Amino acid sequence: MKLLPRISPALLALAAFAFVLLSQRADSVFAASVPSVAINVAKAGPRPVEDTTQKAVARDYASAWQAMADALDQNRADLLGANFAGTANDKLMATIQAQGRTGLHQRIIDRGHTVDAVFYSSEGSAMELHDTARLRLQLMDGDKIVHSEDATLHYVVLLTPAENSWKVRVLEVVPAF
Amino acid sequence: MKTSPMTKTSTQVVIQCGCMMVIAFLLMCCFVIATHAAELNVPETVAAGSSLSIPTSGSGHATLYVAGPGTAIKRSVQLGQEIQLTADDLQDAGRYDVSLDGNSATFLVTAGPVQSIAFLARPSRVPANTPNVISGTALLFDKYQNLVLQPQPVKFELSVDGQSVSRTEMTKYGVAFTKLDSSKKEGPAQFVASSGPASVRRVVQEVASDPCNIRMSAERDKSGIMLRTDPIRDCAGNPVPDGTIVTFTSTDSQGKNTVDARIKRGIAQAQLPASTNATISVASGVVVGNEIQWRGER
Repeated sequence: MKLLPRISPALLALAAFAFVLLSQRADSVFAASVPSVAINVAKAGPRPVEDTTQKAVARDYASAWQAMADALDQNRADLLGANFAGTANDKLMATIQAQGRTGLHQRIIDRGHTVDAVFYSSEGSAMELHDTARLRLQLMDGDKIVHSEDATLHYVVLLTPAENSWKVRVLEVVPAF
Repeated sequence: MKTSPMTKTSTQVVIQCGCMMVIAFLLMCCFVIATHAAELNVPETVAAGSSLSIPTSGSGHATLYVAGPGTAIKRSVQLGQEIQLTADDLQDAGRYDVSLDGNSATFLVTAGPVQSIAFLARPSRVPANTPNVISGTALLFDKYQNLVLQPQPVKFELSVDGQSVSRTEMTKYGVAFTKLDSSKKEGPAQFVASSGPASVRRVVQEVASDPCNIRMSAERDKSGIMLRTDPIRDCAGNPVPDGTIVTFTSTDSQGKNTVDARIKRGIAQAQLPASTNATISVASGVVVGNEIQWRGER
């Protein structure tokens, strides 16, 4: 028991050192988990959003973020899968290509999304979301963290339905809603 | 007075912690001062496709990092000189992070003027003279395919055979939509959405809606009763499309006979078995036509 006060600071220091070392190690593969997406459809119009559509949108949008986080971290366009289409897909592909050329990659630690559906077209062919996302963004040069930031960002998102899922067609950051 | 080994150790720990806190505070102060001294000055927003100059201070070389939508830049720069980001570097709307020598800044690239429209028009075929049956959704993009989020007017115009209806709606976060009545006249309707220099046309085929009324006549022929309608039109006078099914029904003491016939060249005709005393009716969809009491010879 007497040794405890002597050992504890040393242990704490060691643990902190190990944590810092581990957090700097970026060459290990990072796998994003499916983020939480809370979606509110009360403001959507002119067509009301059905329950099944609401669930499908939340599922597919969360899946898109997970795929994007993995693709940007590993610089693998194939990980985007079928979650993106149109300009959003083109821009992500361009980002991944540019990162690959420069040896950079991005790590997104997703802390969840609060989403309002604000537009759902009357024929059901387009939906616009306003997403407030809480993220830790890290820009990495190889295994070195160049910049790390905890941010709350606002995204305007346009989704279009495909055969059996919703695809992200536009994903743009805006200053506020 | 003697102090126990336990008390001595605790005192040492407290002193050590205090010293560490003071050192950490001093380091933080130095860091804050250094960061402030080398702060990156970037504007809050930049228009897509514009170039940007970022002034730097100090001397020697450092590595510049820029991460944004569609972009990832890493290059060596000379401190004390301006960093140039070209129009090609800043085409895509969104958030850009700039890092240089341990300092960071962010700015937003915003969409430029409207250059193109994505126009969703539904449905492709509608009955004429029906309220709120045609919907149009317009999404506005700049020349780099960024969604234009500033409110913009969009004119929706529907025209058939020289008659047109138009409505102007403002976009909200890049989207404008409308609902329009179909025209009284059938035909291919030109549905146009335009905003600034951009314009997109879709064709909505307007067809006659349900028949307004159906009138038939009957005459005896060699093998039965020949039934024939007058030209079938909707309530706006448009001919109901060929292929629409018309049902003729004859009821007599033998039972009921039904024949479905398609409209061909504006009229429908069918042959029913001969009967001496029958009630013959005609209908299409929910519209019922005239009834004939047939008295004839077998």
